Parts: sequence; C-alpha cells; structure tokens
Amino acid sequence: MNAQPPTNARRKPLMSRIPAGFVQAVLKGHSALGIAFAAAIYVVCLSGTLSVFLHQFTHWENPGAEQVSQASPDTVQRALEKVVARSTSEVHHVRLAMPTTDQPFLTLDVDAQGGRTSWLADAEGEVVPLRHAWSEFLTRLHIFLHLPSAWGIFIVGMTGVALLSSLISGLCAHPRIFRDAFHLRVGGSRRLQEADLHNRIGVWALPFHLVVSLTGAFLGLTTIIVGVLGMAMFDGDTGRIYALFTPPEPPENTSQAPVLDLEPMLARLPGEGALERITVEHPTEAGAAAIFDLYDERALAGMKSIGITRTGEVYYEKDAAKASLGERVFGALAPLHFGWFGGGIVKIAYGLLGLGLTYLAVGGVKIWLVRRREKGRPAPGWERVWAAVVWGQPIALAVVALCAIIWPAWPYTVLIPVWAVICLAMLAAAAAVPARSLALFGRAATGALLVVLGLVHAVLVAGFTASPLIWAMNALLVAAGLGFSIHFFRGSQRDMGAAC
Amino acid sequence: MNEAAICVAMAALAVGGSLALRRSWRARGREGRGWKAAGWLLLATACLLGSATLGTARGLFTGLTIASVAVLAVVASGMVVREPRRAGRSKSLAPEPLDRKPSWWRSTLRWLLAGPIGMIAAMAVGVFWSTWTGGAEQTRLVIGGMMVPVVWGAAMAWTLADNRILRATAVLAGVALLGFGLSILKGFG
Repeated sequence: MNAQPPTNARRKPLMSRIPAGFVQAVLKGHSALGIAFAAAIYVVCLSGTLSVFLHQFTHWENPGAEQVSQASPDTVQRALEKVVARSTSEVHHVRLAMPTTDQPFLTLDVDAQGGRTSWLADAEGEVVPLRHAWSEFLTRLHIFLHLPSAWGIFIVGMTGVALLSSLISGLCAHPRIFRDAFHLRVGGSRRLQEADLHNRIGVWALPFHLVVSLTGAFLGLTTIIVGVLGMAMFDGDTGRIYALFTPPEPPENTSQAPVLDLEPMLARLPGEGALERITVEHPTEAGAAAIFDLYDERALAGMKSIGITRTGEVYYEKDAAKASLGERVFGALAPLHFGWFGGGIVKIAYGLLGLGLTYLAVGGVKIWLVRRREKGRPAPGWERVWAAVVWGQPIALAVVALCAIIWPAWPYTVLIPVWAVICLAMLAAAAAVPARSLALFGRAATGALLVVLGLVHAVLVAGFTASPLIWAMNALLVAAGLGFSIHFFRGSQRDMGAAC
Repeated sequence: MNEAAICVAMAALAVGGSLALRRSWRARGREGRGWKAAGWLLLATACLLGSATLGTARGLFTGLTIASVAVLAVVASGMVVREPRRAGRSKSLAPEPLDRKPSWWRSTLRWLLAGPIGMIAAMAVGVFWSTWTGGAEQTRLVIGGMMVPVVWGAAMAWTLADNRILRATAVLAGVALLGFGLSILKGFG
C-alpha cells in the first residue's frame, strides 16, 4: 500500500518547501555580496538611470541649437567639409549622427591627430561646437566610474555580475515570494517597510533587472572575455574576434585628396530603413571611405550597413536579416541596456525602473543596518558612511550639472574633481556628523540644488524660446527639488516631534 | 495605430492583469484560481501585443518593461500605511541570515571562490561552449561570452552561501580544468 503524503504538506506552496537552513545560508551570501558592492551598484545604477536620457540631456545642454528634422545630402556634405576645415591636425574619422525623433540634431564627432572634437550642424550645414560636458561626464561615470578606462570598465562589469548574483540569491532567499506578492506596508516597523519595498521592486521588475545587469556585465567584461577567448582559441589574436563583428578597413591609400564627397554615396543607399549614422574613414585621403548604418524602427538592432570607397566600390555590406543570431544579439545589447529601443514611453519606464533598481541597493543596506540595530548590535559608523554615500551622489551630480551649464566651455575632465571633492567631503563629514543629520542635509541640499538648476537653466541658459522638451525637463527638475524639500521638512518635523 | 496608442493598450492590459493577480492573491483557496489564470493571461497578452505590432523582439521587451511598471503601480496603489513604531527589537517573520563562526581562511577562500576562481570557471564554461557547439562563429562567441556573467554570478551566489566550502572549491576548480582542457583539445575549428 502506498503511503499518501499528508494533505497539508502536499498543499504547501513551492517556495515554502525550501529548507530554512538553505534560505538562511543564501541570505547570508546575499547580504555579504550586497554590502560589498552596495556603493558601486548604487553609483552605477544612479548614473545609468540618468544615462537613459542622454539624448535629452544633450538637447538640454544645447538649448539654442536649431532643430533639424531631416538632414539633406547637401547639408551633410557641407557639415563634413566644415568640420574637416576647422580641424588643425589630420582627421582620422568623422562620425555623423543623423537627426532622429529622439535627438533632432545633426552631430559630428571628429577624431583627429590632436584629439576628439564634437560639433552640431544646422539645416544649412553650418557647425558650432557641441556642448556635452555634462552628458559625457555622466556616461563616463556610468561606464568607467571615472577610473582609468581598463580598470573602470572591468569594475563596472564585475558590479553587473554582483548585481546578477544578488538577483539569483535574492530569489532563492525569498520563500514568501508568493505570500507577500502584493504587500507594501509602510510607516510601521522600519525593517518591514524596507523589506517590502526591496522585495516588491526586486521581484516585479525582475525582467528589467535581469536584462540590465546581464547586458551591463557582458558589455563591461567584453574586453576580458574577448582576451580570454582570443587567447584560448586564436593564439592570442583578439583582433580576429573583433574582425567578426566590425567592418573591415577600406583599402589603404594615404595620398592627399579633397574631402570625401558623400552626396553620390547617399543617393545610392536603399530606400528602406532610415539612415542612423555615417562613419567617414580618413576623409582627406585618396583611400577614404564611408560606412552607412541604416535602422529599422521595428528592430532592436541596426538593419543594414554599407561601406563605400571614394571610387564607388562597395567594400562592406551587412544585412541584419541575413546576420547570425550572435550578431543580432550583440547589436541589441546596448539598446536593451540603455532603453534606447522603444521611444519616449520606454525611456520613461526605464527611468522609473532604474530608480527602483537604484533603490534596491539603498534599501538592501538599510535593511542590514536596521536588522543590526534591532538585534542590539547597531553600526553607527556604517550608518553614517552609507548616508554620506547615498546623499553625496545627488548633491555632487547636481553641482556638476550646474557647473556644466554655467561654464559650458569646461571639458568634462574639469567636472571630475568637482564631483570627487563633494563625494569626499560628504565621506569626511561622516566621521563626525550623525547619519540622520547627514540624510536631512542631503535631502535639503539636493532639493535646493535641483530647484536652482532648473531655474538657472530656464532663466539664464534656455531663455523663453526653448523647446517644450527643455521646459518639461526644467519643470521636472524644479518639481523633484521641491519633492526633496518637502521630504526634508517632514523629516526635520519628525525629529523635532521626537525630541519634544 | 501609432506606437503610443499601442503602449497605452499594453499598459491597460498589464494593469488589468495585475489587478486580477492581486484579486487572486487576496482570495482564499480555490477562489482565486480563475483570477490568477486571467491575470497571467492578460500580462502575456500585453507582451504578445507588443511583439505582434512593434516588432518581435522589440515589442516583447517593450511589453516586459511596461508590464513591470504597471504591476509596481498596482502594488503601490495597495500600499498600507501603518502607525510608526518605536525603534527596538521586533519579532519578524522574515528569515535571518545564517550566523557563521568567523574564520579568516574560510572567508578568504570564500571570496576567492566568488571572485577570481569563479570568474576563471565561468570563462572556462564560456570557452567550452564557444569551442564545442556548432553554428556561426559569432553566435558561438556571443552566447559563450554571455554565459560568463551568468555562470560567474551563479558561482558567486553559491560559494557565498554554501557552508561546505571545500566542495565548492573542488567543483569550481574541476569546471575550470575540464572547460579549458577540453577546449584546448578541440580548438576553435
């Protein structure tokens, strides 16, 4: 006779059947990993959330720029000739980003012997320097943490792996995942409040968290992965791996020639797809060539790339429809990571979910600190350090943005020390100031700085002729600033109430 | 139908699905089964609508993104505000992390396993995949490359949790040796 399991045991939810010892062990690992990488995850997620709106920030930094809905071949050619003429040294490459609904400008990045410059072209092809110190500061913070590039990108990649690992262990350590699926209890026990926020954001936005952490980890670790794959399989020749994904160099001929004429090339492009980018190789050499990247609005990655030499020969052609799965996945990584694939609505959703992911790092450490306090083992030193880390970033970023709009000629490299000094000052303050006071100061300073940033930009930089997008961004900054201020007043009133 | 309208329709479906799931969650026993099925069906429909109208992969990821925001909005709408409690010890239903006896060599080994050794083992798995599977070179390299963060992350989660640290050491070292050894044996032909 077969023994039937007791009815209760059979009906027990799947996650509740996980042994308590296993959950406790996984929770220990989750906690250790979260604490070790908390600051890096927080900075990478916060800067990444802002980087979703990179094109909007570029627009915000150049409020007076004339919007170009579509650049004619004549405009493109004239802009190319102007930037080459303005360069004081030999030009190696020029990358032209065509106007899109996301960024309605024609921009040109010039790689020359003397360094890199960026330009903005109007409908007539006249160019002015592109202001992008804030945008560049932000993306470099997200990608390199402003460390030397090889180390910075590796640490960011490793942070992505730690985030991915935390998601795995977080799920395994959450036996009440279904029982608490819709619980959000605030205001009572601090630990319960933070745990509810942490778990609900972590679980319901899991697809987003997985996509962002996996693509980020892969993009960050690409150099080391390619290095190992190249060493193991191509006798150390990593160039062979890159050659599988990048266009070949055009036939070399270094003798001098007039600036490459793009107009006949543009006339040869296929009708389907929209032109996204043109990369001009050695525009003043006889061996000059251009690669045209076209995109399909319904695809995640680009649609077609065509490379044409000065003589009109097509030396490179790649069609996404015929590309391998690997090429298509590789092309989709960056759009998926930054949310640049579905227009404004997806960007706003990515912004909200990115803030949620940022809060996972903040809340995770808070849970650990509250748990220690409740167990009678408070860690006031770590509470102060964490408050300084959390509030140091928005203050430093707001000051950097303010500097970038007041002194637009400053390169992003000048903004790095500004950011670093504020971060270090906050950490230094943590040595003496209680965590609660640091948090209150952080809210007040962030609120005030955001209001000032929005108003200064609206009044002094953008003026009254700015586009609706810039008005909306400034209004959002002021509203966010007021939100932080209200948060500050409520916090300080609670403190006064508690003191009375 | 323009993209914004499709996104609004997807959001409406996802909110409907989330509300149905919440109703199922609040119900007892068998009462909630219908709502649960309806909830997941509506969420899946939101993603499929995106896939069918905005491009297969692009629409699917748009759907997943919008659905995540929609569910979180529904969770937030059900927020319960409680009376503040004085700080102090509280009895919690949440599991507590394990209290391990501190040991410097175990901690050092644990972090070495989670860090460099885990990374090497993950690289070995990625290289093994790229070497031994068939198909286009680019696909083998990208899939193998994407396995590296996944395997490393899993190894990190496991080694930081597992109490039997020597078992984890043996497994990761074995995976690294086997992965690289077999890859070198085969070569990238």
